[in-house]
Amino acid sequence: MNRVPALLVMHSDLGQALLRAAAAVYGPVEGIEVLSNDGLSREALERQIAGKVEGWTHGGLLLTDFWGGSCHVCGVSATRGHGDIVVVTGLNLPTLLDYLHNRDQYGSLELADRLQKKGRESIRLHHGQPV
Amino acid sequence: MSWALHRVDDRLIHGQVVVAWGHHLRPRRIWVVDDASAASDWERDLLADAAPGVEVKVVAVAEGIRIHSEEAAAEGPALLLVRDLRTALALVEGGATVAVLNLGGLHYAPGRTKVNDYLYLDAEDRARCRRLLELGVKLEVQDVPAARSRSLLEVDPEIARA
Repeated sequence: MNRVPALLVMHSDLGQALLRAAAAVYGPVEGIEVLSNDGLSREALERQIAGKVEGWTHGGLLLTDFWGGSCHVCGVSATRGHGDIVVVTGLNLPTLLDYLHNRDQYGSLELADRLQKKGRESIRLHHGQPV
Repeated sequence: MSWALHRVDDRLIHGQVVVAWGHHLRPRRIWVVDDASAASDWERDLLADAAPGVEVKVVAVAEGIRIHSEEAAAEGPALLLVRDLRTALALVEGGATVAVLNLGGLHYAPGRTKVNDYLYLDAEDRARCRRLLELGVKLEVQDVPAARSRSLLEVDPEIARA
């Protein structure tokens, strides 16, 4: 099984910060690239994403922050025609950690489904107890 | 009630539009006036999916001019987005009544000089801005509603110098 590559495309320095947080829990992280949309037009961001995923012949995951943002929209545009590249929105730390733990065990499509489930499950409510 | 915002933004529909302006203005419709996007089924679908809960209409400039006054009388707030000043000027010269044009995002490209972190203009852009001002359009620089809106004349001395 080939390792599923991933590119974090996010607003501001969120991608770098998430990667640092993941490293604090998981250990040293290698094999993930990070791209910020800071100061980039739509065309420029699409070009940069397209350049990063050019060599992903077996698919991969574009991990982005929120649906409808430029990272998501440009990611979809830049990967158009790459059937096995999936754009995942709403990435959080549990999802990123799950990716790191499972990127060698699944193909990109199965891993994307798994991350969606993990992301949803990770948002839970823990109400305070009455005194 | 209809037009709540006319905005120049080279990202068209993206986070600031969907989250910040969307929350602030609660638009019922977003009109994207852009010849290239209107010519592509795929691009129209992509833009329509990018703003959940809002009706997104993607039309060419000629259609944008045609529907502008009709939409102005429609119910509920609407936003209009163009990707560049050329399109904004074409709309106004074509007869669209635009009192205020929000300059929300024209990012760096070769030949453009910086006005602020999200606004870069070249000589042609500035000529179009002057023409829009002559036509009575106020040009306001503001990326998100929580930021202070400032006149382009105030933040770009080059506009006033010509």
